[in-house]
Amino acid sequence: MSEPPRSVVNAPEVNALEPWPDTVEWRPVSPKLIIVQLIGLAAWVAVLVAGLSVAYFFGRHSGWLIGIGAVLLLGAWRAVIEARAVSAWGYAERDNDLLVRHGLLVRHLSIVPYARMQFVDVTAGPLERAFGLATVQLHTASAASDARVPGLPPEEASRLRDRLTALGEDRAEGL
Amino acid sequence: MSSAGLPPSVPPAWPQGTPPPGYPPVEPDPGAGMEKRQRLHPLSPLLNGAKSIVVIVAALSWQTLNQLGPTHFAMIVAALAVGVVIFSVVGWWNTGYQVIGRELRITDGLIWRRNRAIPLDRLQAVELRRPLLAQLTGLAELRLEVVGGAKTEAPLAYLTVREAAALRERLLALSGRTHKGSAIGAGPAAGVVAAPPAEAPLYRVRNRDLLISQLLTPQAFFLPIGVAWVITQFAMEHSWSFIGIASTVTAMAGVLLQPIRRVLGDWDFRLSRDHDRRLVLHYGLTETRNQVVPPNRVQTVRVIWPFLWRQARWLNLRLDIAGYSGPEPGDDKTSDRLMPVGDIQTARALVAEVLPGVDLATIATSPPPLRARWLHPIGLRFYGAGLSPDVFVTRQGRVTRELSLVPYARMQSVRVVQGPLQRRLGLATVYADTAGGRSGVAHDRDLAEAWALAEQLATRARAARARRP
Repeated sequence: MSEPPRSVVNAPEVNALEPWPDTVEWRPVSPKLIIVQLIGLAAWVAVLVAGLSVAYFFGRHSGWLIGIGAVLLLGAWRAVIEARAVSAWGYAERDNDLLVRHGLLVRHLSIVPYARMQFVDVTAGPLERAFGLATVQLHTASAASDARVPGLPPEEASRLRDRLTALGEDRAEGL
Repeated sequence: MSSAGLPPSVPPAWPQGTPPPGYPPVEPDPGAGMEKRQRLHPLSPLLNGAKSIVVIVAALSWQTLNQLGPTHFAMIVAALAVGVVIFSVVGWWNTGYQVIGRELRITDGLIWRRNRAIPLDRLQAVELRRPLLAQLTGLAELRLEVVGGAKTEAPLAYLTVREAAALRERLLALSGRTHKGSAIGAGPAAGVVAAPPAEAPLYRVRNRDLLISQLLTPQAFFLPIGVAWVITQFAMEHSWSFIGIASTVTAMAGVLLQPIRRVLGDWDFRLSRDHDRRLVLHYGLTETRNQVVPPNRVQTVRVIWPFLWRQARWLNLRLDIAGYSGPEPGDDKTSDRLMPVGDIQTARALVAEVLPGVDLATIATSPPPLRARWLHPIGLRFYGAGLSPDVFVTRQGRVTRELSLVPYARMQSVRVVQGPLQRRLGLATVYADTAGGRSGVAHDRDLAEAWALAEQLATRARAARARRP
């Protein structure tokens, strides 16, 4: 029995060590996003530690102390992960589509054609606003598409939004 | 998403026939004039009420009947029924629809008034449903599917069959780009009924096959075991109370519900194509449904080989249309049938009809690299992906084999995802997202191949979009 070919596409120019996503020009998100993420994380850790401290104050059981230690340890680990994850975010505008990559543990790459754009969201939470950041999200008709770029300076966010909407109108297709 | 927001200061009601305040009074489209806001059929509240009563009785369950006794139980049900019907009547009074230009406007709601405008060129599919009660009274429910709704956005329940068919024909004519300004949309009254369009039949299910195919399901296999268990249970306990038996029967019915619903739902399934190359589907026994899908609205087609059907060489075709709610296992209310049961030849012909240029017999997929067996110890060779000229093909499933076809022209976005285990093995999974909620998934491809595949998909999708008129 002949074995079917193991590869769908014959792409000799593709190099396994340097696949094409690294040949496009990735733009990073603002490093200030790290601070925003860390503050958010710190708030959660603080709430949990406060709760556990109160419990320890009343219960005087060493289990609570272990809990506090675990939360702090977990928080520190998450802090390292999140700081590194911010540098993993990136986006690239090509002629016909937007590329967004993110994730460290589970790596995601999205290719969203401008023609499929339904609408663009620009959002900024209170913390993000304080650091002058905004999130741009491109929505398509598919719920599964995820093209979200956080941590953009406002002028870059509005530039990206305007460019996306302009390109979307240009190549409008919808469904 | 498409609710037309009224300015908050505007009083909710306006005289019938005049446009609501806040809208321009003159419609720019000369072809379709203004028309009166129409009400649904006066029997609708009774029918809607009857539906709710079934739900109420089911919720009260046998236990309550046992505790209260039949008279009290009947009184409670009657009281609830009267309440439900009054509520439905008020709702009916406040519901209306009208076609303005190339939009269908639907007003409803009692406390939260809603005036919804549905642009007809965004219509994905129109379905005419007739539940049992509606069949007895000669009524029908018209459902319009648009993208972005979690549920059907515009169910018009109920109209007379004649009205519903005429309205559907009109809406479809208005929505079809080729039919802009055709004669059907021009009449101001809804009574323009064209002669039933000539339909070219494509496929008809054989009801015998349908019955057998649903007997070949795990649930049906479970039935004899369940019956035997119940009989032994009763024989041991000697407790033949009515309530006990009734509860058991209900429980058994629950298990068998899915195959039974499939049989009832797919009964007499007919598929045809009308003069505008729209797909027309008829099916159902207790609830007949008549669905019209305009061309180029099919987002994915899935070919499924259930394990127990393998001996009979049967398979099952399903299609996804944007607008219908997302994939929910076990939910048979969805309208995604293309072929309930049939052999490969029929399936091949149907797929070629729905996705022109696609031949099931020549579709080739290639499996993931051998090292992916660490992630799929059994049945690695049943996974696969392939790029055929018009569709992206993916295969998966050891027991229930599944092949899904995503036309490049329908793809919304492409994703490449790599988990930690996959990274160790140098693999990645490629998703081709569609508006139908399901994605074509190429599991565990070699990383370099995954990148190339994603690039190919993006390129081919662009080319396919450019080709389309």
